[in-house]
Amino acid sequence: MASADNGMNGDGSTSVERVGIFALSGATKRFGGVVAVDGVDFDLLEGEVHALVGENGAGKSTLMKMVGGVHAPDEGSVEVGGEAVSFASPGEAEGAGIAMIPQELDLFPELTIAENLFVGRKRPRTRWGGMDWKTMKEEARRSLGSMGVSLDVGATVKQLSTANRQIVAIARALLGDAKAVIMDEPTASLTEREAEKLFEVIADLTASGVGVVYISHRLEEVFRISDRITVMRDGRHIKTAPTSDLDSDELVRLMVGRELKELFSRSRHETGDIALETRGLTREGEFEDVDLTVRRGEVVGLAGLIGAGRTELAQTLFGLHKADAGEIRIDGEAVKSLSPQKAMEKGIFYVPEERKSQGLISPFPISANITLSILDRICRMGFVKRGRERETAERFAASLSIRGAGMDDPVSRLSGGNQQKVVLAKSLAREPSVLLLDEPTRGVDVGAKSEIYRLIDDLAGEGKAVLLISSELEEILSMSDRIVVMREGKVSGEFERSEADQEKIMAAATGTKAGQTAEVREERT
Amino acid sequence: MSQYTETSRGFLSRIKFSRELVLLGVLIVIVIAMSLLSPVFLTLGNLLNTSRYFVEIGLISLGMTLIIITAGIDLSVGSNMALVSVVVGFSFLGGVPLPLAIVLGVVAGLAAGVFNGLFVTMLDLHPLVVTLGTFAMFRGLAYGFSDADAVSSFPAWFAYFGQAYFGPIPGQLIVFVIAVAVVWLILSRTRFGRYVYAIGHNEEAARFSGVPVERVKLAIYAGTGLLVGLASVIYISRVSTARGDAGLGLELDVIAAVVLGGASIYGGKGTIAGTVLGVLIIATLRNGLLLAGVPSTWQLFLLGVLLLVAVFLNEFFRKEEG
Repeated sequence: MASADNGMNGDGSTSVERVGIFALSGATKRFGGVVAVDGVDFDLLEGEVHALVGENGAGKSTLMKMVGGVHAPDEGSVEVGGEAVSFASPGEAEGAGIAMIPQELDLFPELTIAENLFVGRKRPRTRWGGMDWKTMKEEARRSLGSMGVSLDVGATVKQLSTANRQIVAIARALLGDAKAVIMDEPTASLTEREAEKLFEVIADLTASGVGVVYISHRLEEVFRISDRITVMRDGRHIKTAPTSDLDSDELVRLMVGRELKELFSRSRHETGDIALETRGLTREGEFEDVDLTVRRGEVVGLAGLIGAGRTELAQTLFGLHKADAGEIRIDGEAVKSLSPQKAMEKGIFYVPEERKSQGLISPFPISANITLSILDRICRMGFVKRGRERETAERFAASLSIRGAGMDDPVSRLSGGNQQKVVLAKSLAREPSVLLLDEPTRGVDVGAKSEIYRLIDDLAGEGKAVLLISSELEEILSMSDRIVVMREGKVSGEFERSEADQEKIMAAATGTKAGQTAEVREERT
Repeated sequence: MSQYTETSRGFLSRIKFSRELVLLGVLIVIVIAMSLLSPVFLTLGNLLNTSRYFVEIGLISLGMTLIIITAGIDLSVGSNMALVSVVVGFSFLGGVPLPLAIVLGVVAGLAAGVFNGLFVTMLDLHPLVVTLGTFAMFRGLAYGFSDADAVSSFPAWFAYFGQAYFGPIPGQLIVFVIAVAVVWLILSRTRFGRYVYAIGHNEEAARFSGVPVERVKLAIYAGTGLLVGLASVIYISRVSTARGDAGLGLELDVIAAVVLGGASIYGGKGTIAGTVLGVLIIATLRNGLLLAGVPSTWQLFLLGVLLLVAVFLNEFFRKEEG
């Protein structure tokens, strides 16, 4: 039977009268020789938000996949509503009222919202045996309405913002009468405003008795919305406690297993000459008339909402797309018809936001990933010099303290944070003078985050020009010397470090005056 | 650590090893079966003689391996062979000196490959559709130029390319061995080879890492065209005839050999060693069936069966590895 007294330090006093939805006890899962989850207890009560935190590779997702029917536990049991169950598929788990919303949403972009909601479900039929679209649309509308959202259910999912896709995924879970919704990093690709909307939806859900498991790296969110927190580390259960009994420092200590002094590190540096400059840079439908300068030794934060054109701008600077108008100058020299190869020669390197699809060749060994962009430098007559390759890879892996697998192991063996460090190592191996970092800490645990921040600071100290694209305001504010804000493809604001604050940046990003953003939030929901 | 992709992980390389052992085992079983069916089969003379027939398929399979590793395909290789044959035969018939006609033919093969490559890269079209188009185009050109006629009035020295022996060893076998060594080195040891695997596994990430994806792909299709040119010259010389139906159905043997050798049509995987084993298995099977008196229609059927078995095996190994 599910009980709130769980783990080493359980305290269920705030929720004694609540009924349990599911409980895992002594759950263990091994992959080959690796124990991903080691004898973990976890339970979820009706109407609560139970946050599950831990560094990448701590076993959070694996633990939840055992409830969600993706993995069967090797040891231990899963109970739903007090009865032992073993789900053979996610479909069976969903049938029992447990819905998982994975980090990468499994929606069909080309289908409409209504169609997405009914994929894999019994669809209502008309008398003639055709699809009863009318009923489906009505049910879709009702399901979204129950979360206080109104969207055009006939719109295709690809037209929706990331936040709305997230909401459609939740609506799909609710349509199946979910009693428990498991969210894996739901805000990873949301802007702060979009996240607000999600939190309201979560509040509505719990008010109606649904339990929510909330996996996130963003601790401030965890503290804001959760009732209980469970910490995992290295596949083991560390602590479960009511949120009110924990504070941020302690939580980080529990997750990392050691004291973490400072998350952000930024020291003052002298800035030098202009390294990268754009004038009137335009790419139809993506960004327009962008003037931007980044000096040597300077970190310029590029803030804005998703879809503001920041990624497209950075990719154009790296030669992945062609600009329609305007000029790119590197060290004062105008460059035309840029390609990634040419950009690399000029000393520019872009670290993409999508680690898996754009940053890494997952089956390749770690060493080959690190050296992929510098093969021209470690080859003789086209032949790869293996000694040089190995030595280079080891040097950069060591300087970024990449941990968790050997140089010859495929990069996919590493945790997310360490994979991200491999992507960074690849770019640093090229020794660029201008680095374009696109969401360099997305989906990365606290420990790796602080290491990446230290790295950014070091790079600026070495006189490199850094353009930092981030949707985390705190990151932008703490790391940048200067902040440029983009909105709908245009530069909508520029602030020195000293004059910037969250309000001003949000105002520039959303196109409202400072002070009005809060009201806008209200109106939107 | 000779091959790039499946290297490294201890147990993975063991599986790869066992995969090639499986292929070797299959080859041995076929050899034994064939020698039981026909007493002539297991003689050195016949085995070396067999090699005269698989070198053409083998040469083209080397290029096809690289194409398939990048998740591409080239259906036009058989038609390209017809095109090369007709260019060599009919330019010779029209008064061009034979050495020049041979060069023209090889250049035509290369040009056909470049044509495929340009469509695949510049226009970003799927190789399956592009080469299905050129499959028809090249064959059509070959028939059109030759008017369904054949040229076989070649001077005696031309036979050298496809019929010469060095001791007991057919000349083209030596050409093949050299080509295998060169392509193996390129694929397993060079930057270019690394790029080929990178593109096959994740083209987008390769592009984001500064890999010149278009140039690499163009080079692969062009290189395959060149190998077709080379194979065609050997073929014309071996059969002493140049005609528009040369290389009919050749793409089936080539693709079957490469897939049997372990290259994944999803890209990223494949080795030259595997492909060579695939070529040997198919050639042995064909030769053995011929000696056993199985009609060519049934050979085609069996080849189809073999291709399906190969695809199934690949799926099986992929799941084992995953």
